[in-house]
Amino acid sequence: MNILKNAVIIVIIVFLAIAWILPVYVMFTTSFKTLAEVSTGHYLSFPTRFQFENWKQAFNILKLPLKNSFIVSLCATFITVFIGSWSGYALARFKFKGRNGLFFMIAIVTFLPYQIFLIPLTRLIVSLGLFNTLSGMILSYVILNTPMATLITSLFFRTIPKELQEAAFLDGCGPVIFYFKILIPISVSGLMSAAVLSFVNIWNEFIIALSLSRDPTTRLAIPVVAGLKGSYVAQWNMLMAGAAIVSIPGILVLLFFGKFFIKGLIAGAMKE
Amino acid sequence: MLRLGEKGGRFIRVSRRTIFFFLLPAFVIIGVLYYMLLWTVVVSMTDWVGMNPTWKFAGFKNYKLLFSMPRFWVNMKNNIIWLVVFVVPTGVFGMILAYLLELFPSISRIVRPIYLYPLVVAPIVAGTLWAWFFDPQSGVLNSILDLVNLSNFKAGWIADPKLAVYCMIVAGIWQNLGFALVLYTAAIREIPREHIEAAKVDGANMRQIFFHIVVPEIGHATLIIFSLLVLYTLKVFDLVWIMTRGGPGYATEVLPYLMYRITFRQLLVGMGAAVAVVILMLSIVILIPLSKWMMARWIEE
Repeated sequence: MNILKNAVIIVIIVFLAIAWILPVYVMFTTSFKTLAEVSTGHYLSFPTRFQFENWKQAFNILKLPLKNSFIVSLCATFITVFIGSWSGYALARFKFKGRNGLFFMIAIVTFLPYQIFLIPLTRLIVSLGLFNTLSGMILSYVILNTPMATLITSLFFRTIPKELQEAAFLDGCGPVIFYFKILIPISVSGLMSAAVLSFVNIWNEFIIALSLSRDPTTRLAIPVVAGLKGSYVAQWNMLMAGAAIVSIPGILVLLFFGKFFIKGLIAGAMKE
Repeated sequence: MLRLGEKGGRFIRVSRRTIFFFLLPAFVIIGVLYYMLLWTVVVSMTDWVGMNPTWKFAGFKNYKLLFSMPRFWVNMKNNIIWLVVFVVPTGVFGMILAYLLELFPSISRIVRPIYLYPLVVAPIVAGTLWAWFFDPQSGVLNSILDLVNLSNFKAGWIADPKLAVYCMIVAGIWQNLGFALVLYTAAIREIPREHIEAAKVDGANMRQIFFHIVVPEIGHATLIIFSLLVLYTLKVFDLVWIMTRGGPGYATEVLPYLMYRITFRQLLVGMGAAVAVVILMLSIVILIPLSKWMMARWIEE
């Protein structure tokens, strides 16, 4: 009886997992099919012949936006994690008046929907002359993601023994040297978690990318992929190729840095 | 003037200037964010229309107008549907799945990562996938129904004003189940093993252990996960944009989408800010207790 029950549960778990992976599987296989093959309705079948026409076409459209997205995501992630960990260190390891209050204020803005900042943010970017520029988007993502990075890194810094800082300070090493020479090297895991989470967030982000650039030379990949649905109506193979291309960085990140991604998610929800 | 650094037995002197030096970037960015927040509230009480900020103070006119629009209440209704049909299944399902996967570690090593992939896929991509699935003309679901001779069940799906919201919610659940799963798995692993072993010795079965030990002991995780899922419903934008653009009509609009639509398409900026403030108020109701609770845990450590 118990064995039967376990078997049923296992079957359900496995079937559910298959159902969960199917959309991604269909996205990749469909992207290699011709429209004629797609319309036969055999969605789960492997492409009879791999043809790269859709990929070529989608890649041509996405070449520049992908480059923009890489520049924006990588720069913004780097700056975000640097600033976040810089202040996160002070938040985790220095005692000062209003520290809990500051933590509370950071936690609030970390989780607020972007819509609340959208009007003033657009105004800020326009008035700085950064509308339609990659720097404008980098600046916006840094502003919006730093609170999260501060929280996550400060949590990781708290797990580092206090004696380490004490010993370093007694040896005459100041906080700045301590941050660069000791804290950063031993906190790679925590910094990577913040970085991986920020990178995926920024890469996949839509509303800011949509609002801050209307210029084809500075558009990011996600809004361009979103636009394909309007210009390639019902050409699902083409749409899947575009969707697959922009999904690759996230999937690779999960494949190689999955551990950090999970750690970051858990720390982001403050559970360590 | 010197302040004391956090100590491990001995006092360490860190000057106030040093602390300020480290906190400065955070102060600037947090300052900018709170300033923006205030700005949105101010703009919501102006008659700003069009691209350029030319406004006069208008009091609560935007809010009055907003609350008198049937469209706003359709949005509210859809947000409530999301709250019930998205948050509850994602949370409950994630909890049960996390527990079951912990029971079968050998299988879950293979299966668990599968649930994580939707998390790194852009919502725009997820929306494109599910828009195809639910497309009334060339969609996957309708053609499968044809194939298995269930044509009677064919429907307009995302083109049907009654069904479209639920189609979107399917995409939302698909994408976010992994999130609930990860957090619940972490929470379940924090339960002291003795509690579960003791229950097993007493002859409790899987279901009893789940309801009498696991569920009560992961209360804190449930609080956080459900709060974050509720917050998700207050920012869901990409799925609506890519799947239906809020249509048919405004049948599938939710507040975060309405805010964008009114501000950047209709250029009623003051009005858009009013919607943003409504979102802010609803978020704050969740966020203040959540942040307070996080802060308490943070101080403890």
